[in-house]
Amino acid sequence: MAKIGEFELLVLLAILRQRDEPYANRVREDLEENAERAVTRGALYRTLDRLASKGLVEWELEPSETPERGGHPMRRLYVTEEGREAARASRDVLLRFFDGLGPVETA
Amino acid sequence: MTTERPPEWPTRLLARALGRTGAAASVLGDLEEDFVLRLRRDGRAAAHRWYWKEALTLCVEAGFGRLVGRPIVRDETTEEAGMREAWSSSGFVSDFGYALKALRRDPGFFVVSTLIVGLGIGASTAVFSVMSPLMIQPLPFEEPERLVLVENGDGTGGLSGVTSRTSNVRDFRTDVRAFEALGGFNAFFDQSSYNLSGAGEPERLQGVEVTSNLLDILGIEMAAGRNFTEAEGVQDAENTMILTHGFWVRRFGADPEVVGRSLALNDEPFTVVGVLPPDFDFVSVFTPTASADFLLPWPISDYTDSWGNTTTMVARLAPGVSIEAAQDELDSVVAALEQADPERWGLGGRISGLQERIARPFRSGMLLLAAAAGLVMLIVCVNLSNMLLARGPRRRREIAVRRTLGATRGRLIRQLLLESVVMSMAGALVGLALATWATRFVAGSTGLEIPMLSAITIDGRALGFTVCVALLAGLAVGVVPALQVSEGGESEALGGSTRGGGGTRGARKLRELLVISEVAMACVLLVFGGLVVRSFQAVMDVDLGFEAEHAIGWQLASSRVFDTLPEINAFFDEIVANVEAVPGVEAVGLVDALPLGTNRTWGTRVVDKVYPENGPGDFFFPHVIDDRYLQAMRVPLVEGRYFTAFDDEGAPPVVVVNQEAARMLFDGDALGRRIRMWFGEPEVVGVVGDVKHRALELGSDPEVYFPMRQLWAFQTVEMVVRTQLPPESVVAAVGAAVRQSEAQMPTEDWRTLDSVVETSVSPRRFTLQILVAFALSALLLASLGIYGVLSYSVSERIPEIGIRMALGESAAGVRRSIVAQTLVLAGIGVFVGALVAAVGTRLVSSLLFGVEPTDPATFLGTVAVLLAVSLVSGLIPAIRASRVDSAGALRSVA
Repeated sequence: MAKIGEFELLVLLAILRQRDEPYANRVREDLEENAERAVTRGALYRTLDRLASKGLVEWELEPSETPERGGHPMRRLYVTEEGREAARASRDVLLRFFDGLGPVETA
Repeated sequence: MTTERPPEWPTRLLARALGRTGAAASVLGDLEEDFVLRLRRDGRAAAHRWYWKEALTLCVEAGFGRLVGRPIVRDETTEEAGMREAWSSSGFVSDFGYALKALRRDPGFFVVSTLIVGLGIGASTAVFSVMSPLMIQPLPFEEPERLVLVENGDGTGGLSGVTSRTSNVRDFRTDVRAFEALGGFNAFFDQSSYNLSGAGEPERLQGVEVTSNLLDILGIEMAAGRNFTEAEGVQDAENTMILTHGFWVRRFGADPEVVGRSLALNDEPFTVVGVLPPDFDFVSVFTPTASADFLLPWPISDYTDSWGNTTTMVARLAPGVSIEAAQDELDSVVAALEQADPERWGLGGRISGLQERIARPFRSGMLLLAAAAGLVMLIVCVNLSNMLLARGPRRRREIAVRRTLGATRGRLIRQLLLESVVMSMAGALVGLALATWATRFVAGSTGLEIPMLSAITIDGRALGFTVCVALLAGLAVGVVPALQVSEGGESEALGGSTRGGGGTRGARKLRELLVISEVAMACVLLVFGGLVVRSFQAVMDVDLGFEAEHAIGWQLASSRVFDTLPEINAFFDEIVANVEAVPGVEAVGLVDALPLGTNRTWGTRVVDKVYPENGPGDFFFPHVIDDRYLQAMRVPLVEGRYFTAFDDEGAPPVVVVNQEAARMLFDGDALGRRIRMWFGEPEVVGVVGDVKHRALELGSDPEVYFPMRQLWAFQTVEMVVRTQLPPESVVAAVGAAVRQSEAQMPTEDWRTLDSVVETSVSPRRFTLQILVAFALSALLLASLGIYGVLSYSVSERIPEIGIRMALGESAAGVRRSIVAQTLVLAGIGVFVGALVAAVGTRLVSSLLFGVEPTDPATFLGTVAVLLAVSLVSGLIPAIRASRVDSAGALRSVA
């Protein structure tokens, strides 16, 4: 099974969190607002690309409706079953490791 | 309402960088969406700024990503990918990408090699840039190849020996057809200065007197106003001046209204008629380290002629006339003038191309630097070749796989060459940064007596040069390893064992040969550097004849007009008395020009001395001094006495001579003898020690000191102040003391005598510093090379060493054998290098001073240093070898 890094995990989760609008810009906004980290465009796109090449993410192009995009298409992102599996596995590992710590250390 | 679209250019650039894929288009869309958001929230300007930044950053990332095979968006349909593959696999693009990938796989190697190439390219580019304005580019004048200098003699008589009387200018102008135009400037311009008063703070300024046609001869286009007219260039014409661009900007804020205004120089009005262009720096071409704030007309008249040899003649040859033809015509004109007036003195002229003449004193130094930079570059190349060869075995498997998959040998060579070229180009970037820093540093240094320094920059030429060097280096470095690596042996390489892989006898011999040549070249550079350092020491050890430490020189420029000699002496006596009263001041003296500054020569005949009939008289360097100067400078009295305050106009005329003059003019018996001068026959009352007046490297000249109270033959007065306190702590008080006598006198113009000496050795120090830097880099590279070869040969021989140790050889024995191997390599290299250096140093002997080209100390020192450094670089691999775990080593063979 594919191994994923922390940022890759965050991106996977952010795509999953978008539900109706799983687009790159929304993912980026979510990461910036809720994960409290500055995300450069290049880093996000490269990560998406890497996730896609690992088979964890897929996308399809859809024509944009809004004039704000100047007619450029949008990428609708999907997390594949393998991607979900990878996210779950990461979560399990993290939980297992946090479990061993008392409340003081986790605080 | 239509929404505003983002700026076009960054969008286009980005679209290019991303490629034509659907995902790429979606990235553009994402960006545009955010842009519109910001447009509404932050306003137009902020949104535009943001977009530019975002798009360009992405561009760089995308461009780089594509280069290294990691695009930031990849969404190619099979068709697209197939097309790209088909297009690039035949060409350089895929090889290029492959080369980058290969280098990326070994970043340590890439960084080290880039730095090494950068060092070499930086050195070469910097030296090229320094040489360029002086020796490669034409001078920044109109048709510079037609410009010539006409000199009176060969320079043995100081400035007076190369300058001419203005009557020569007058006659050569009319009689020599080969000159389209002839002009010049007063070479002694820095012996007088002007006080600017009226407009703002009073300031001491330097003016250069030029003939009214000089700017036209050079082809200078004025920045504002006009050149001098012919009528303004004659004796007693109305006072006019032309400002240098720097002074115009500094003092008047580049105000064009200054042209036509009148400025007060020494309380006399001068009309500004023009401003020089910014790219014409008079002093940097003709008199480096001097300064000039404006030009004044230099009249060609009987009056200026009476000053003797003053003028540096600059001429423009008529079209199609060669220097030789002009010289022939000038010789016959001189002969005719001599015939017409046998009494006339100072006739003569040697024509040299202006550029060649200006560059001449620096030629051998520059060529030495160029040769040294070339050697450094060679060492760099050898070093890299070596590193690539060492990588060979590791890459062998990879190459073998590619060959079995069908890559041709040519293709593989091309790819390996591309790798080294990519590396050298990356090195070129580092080198450019280094060279830019170095040239900025050089161009910004003011104390260097080298012409055209301010014109030094990294320009298009330097860039072109760098790219060529990098390309050549990349190819040269890569070709041997590429041929080595790509040659056959697939089955062996694919067989699995890395033992001895590529470390064939041939490859090892080749690498050893490279190391030997590296050591040899480093040896040559170290010998050169050593000799230059020893010369510099010898120059600095020269007995100046005066004490430069703890002494400060001031130029005293009064704007007062004095009518009599007692009046001027009384004025300066008052200043000296004020300064002597300053706490910490030990001695004060006055002189017309300090040593190592300007100089002049006068002719004389010694009374009672027999001269050959019609033969020349004697010449000497005159100095007009007060009765405290020699004591203040600590010039030792050999016999007789110094001047006293009683040697004034009422007393019989006297002179003091130096030992060289006593020997040359008076055959060693000077006291009580007399010389014939235009004002009388002064008697020699004292003999003092020789002082280095022209340059530290030159021998002593006959010098005659005249008392200031008897002879009014000075334009400027320099004051020497001796103090044991740090100079900075007394200058303010001394300045105040001077201003007590004349409140308007500028007093900021002081320098320590140490710095005067320093300036005079600056070109030598400059060469020295560069050469030493080069030699040390060469040493570093050579030691890296030795280390590389030995540590590789150790790792290659681990099984063998293991067996030997298992069979009972001691660790010390192993160490010894590795060290012995080091010393053999270094020894051969040092031997060859010393031989080459012994021949080569003869070529640079003109740059040496007080040290033989075959100086044994330098050679022995170099040999010792190289062997020691080699030993150290061989020691680490030797120690590693002696720690080989024999059991493990044996297992790896089994």
